[in-house]
Amino acid sequence: MLFKDQLQFVFQHMKKNKLRVTMTILAAMIGCSFLIVLASVGFGIQETLRNDILSQEEITKIELYGDETLSEKDREYIESVDHVNVVLNKAELDGIVSTSFEDRKGESTGVIYNTSELKQLPSNLNEGRLPEQANEIVVGYHFAQSLLNEEDRAIIEKKSKEAEEQGSYYDGSEEGYKGDILNKEVNLQFYNAETEAYTEPSTFKIVGILKKPSYDWYVDSSIQFSDALLDKFPNLVTYPSTFIYVDSVENVMPVLETLKDQNYQVYSQIEQLEEMDLFFLIFKIGLIFIGTIAILIASIGIFNTMTMAVTERTREIGVLKAIGASPNLIQRLFLMESTFIGLLGTVLAVIVSYVISFAANAILPYVVSFALSEEDLSNYELTFSLIPISLVLVAGSISLLVAIISGWRPARNATKIEVIQALRQEL
Amino acid sequence: MITVQSLQHTFIIGKKGQEKKVEVLKDINFRIEQGEIVAIVGKSGSGKSTLLQTIAGFMKPDSGSIIVNNTEIAGFTEKQSTAFRLDHFGFIFQNFQLLSSQTVFENVELPLKLKGISPAIRKKKVSEILTKVELAGVADHYPNELSGGQQQRVSIARAMITNPPIILADEPTGSLDSQTEKEILTLIQQLNEQDNITFIIITHDEEVASIADRKFRMADGVLVGGMAHVI
Repeated sequence: MLFKDQLQFVFQHMKKNKLRVTMTILAAMIGCSFLIVLASVGFGIQETLRNDILSQEEITKIELYGDETLSEKDREYIESVDHVNVVLNKAELDGIVSTSFEDRKGESTGVIYNTSELKQLPSNLNEGRLPEQANEIVVGYHFAQSLLNEEDRAIIEKKSKEAEEQGSYYDGSEEGYKGDILNKEVNLQFYNAETEAYTEPSTFKIVGILKKPSYDWYVDSSIQFSDALLDKFPNLVTYPSTFIYVDSVENVMPVLETLKDQNYQVYSQIEQLEEMDLFFLIFKIGLIFIGTIAILIASIGIFNTMTMAVTERTREIGVLKAIGASPNLIQRLFLMESTFIGLLGTVLAVIVSYVISFAANAILPYVVSFALSEEDLSNYELTFSLIPISLVLVAGSISLLVAIISGWRPARNATKIEVIQALRQEL
Repeated sequence: MITVQSLQHTFIIGKKGQEKKVEVLKDINFRIEQGEIVAIVGKSGSGKSTLLQTIAGFMKPDSGSIIVNNTEIAGFTEKQSTAFRLDHFGFIFQNFQLLSSQTVFENVELPLKLKGISPAIRKKKVSEILTKVELAGVADHYPNELSGGQQQRVSIARAMITNPPIILADEPTGSLDSQTEKEILTLIQQLNEQDNITFIIITHDEEVASIADRKFRMADGVLVGGMAHVI
């Protein structure tokens, strides 16, 4: 029998028992979509945490523990390791840096970088350039906003009070310096912990502004200096640390292992990611297992439908066999029918699951923020449900396999029908 | 054409522990030539239907040989039997055995579909045969929209569509009135003369048997006379 004719034969019968077949397809769809949606929660949570980790830190960065500045010998060794791009020295200033600009004042944290090392990394500047001279600085994205005069302070105090009365808080984002701060000169004073006093004011020129932080809630008013600053202020107390940048994500682990073998105390966010991926792999397998139970329940429906189909068509099967239809063909026709039921159920389940997933991601942030009486969470990158192609393939395969297995026994029974018995059935 | 030798078959009936053996076919021997119409007559329970079902391959005999067109078919597996039936036999049943969900055209077309014939050739062949059995006007009708005689004509058309050398008919006019019976018997005679098809007709009706070239009479599982060629 031509494949086209087999398809026509199967569809003709499915059409004949429309209601029963439709209900069975619905059962298969519900089972499969339950599996997909359930597992999608696992994928969604993993995605949220993964994005969180990836946005916190540069993922190709390895942190070297230790309070002292890296020795030349160590630096040379680390730089010689394959795939290491940059070894960056950073020194955080002890205490705060006080800024004065026109009638405004502000307070910031200060960090010193080696400009030539920093230049080898992808730029994190929103505008301007890196500092070259001792009196050049780069400031955080919110630096201008943190420069307040007396009038601003009064308004912020007033707005904060009003917000407090309404059960929220005000972040002061509407005040501060509104002009372009780039290329402006500011006076800075450094706090000296030993003398418990500020240094004399020095003039610095703002030559660059950093990019906006990835988190909306993070206010970056920091100041970055070039290492020439220490020539000008040799007595400043600093806390040095070292970062190693690797050329690509997949090379982070090998570099990390190499450095650990050499007894360097190193850490990367990617280690956390690997542990998390393993945890979520087990978690998702668990969810898929639970979801498969729903598919198995749906398979009982397919089994019943196919058994009914065989029973109802006993005479027809007898006629087909009498005029020369082989047992293999009879089995194939019934298997095709159960496979189509499974396939249609699976396709509908995928569509329904994507709709549910989309709706969950759109609505749940509001529901959660309402339930927790939190501020609006819709600005955060929260993924409650994620359906990657791999999940569709796994769930689809399970669903189809179960449908085929469910139809197998009835199809086998159909081939065993005896022609003589079948033809004796009442019309 | 068809040679049956020493054919024996026994049914075991009754409850477990109280089984009884009934010999339905006892040493059957005969030969049928191409183009003959042979009637196998006998009372109910004489074994004539069992004989036809054994020749058709619906059941395996306990022993003996059935040779059709030089092929021994008595020991065939179910798969071999169905393939052989498709190429060599057409069937006419007492209650027509048409598929109620398929139109007249589709019922007649079915054996061609099983043989994997292309739709264009199928259409041509089915149209030809429906004209031959005078059913061209009801091709799109469903079996339950036809009279008994028309349904049996559809059944005959389905049996003939693959041009099989042999047609096995089990009480072909058993469900029809006498006028329609005559029409069907005339049609069978015409087809036999035109296409040289061998007909083996099981009947208990002497009128039906009268169109046969030879008559085999069966009683208690034995061929008791008539014109069987004893080998």
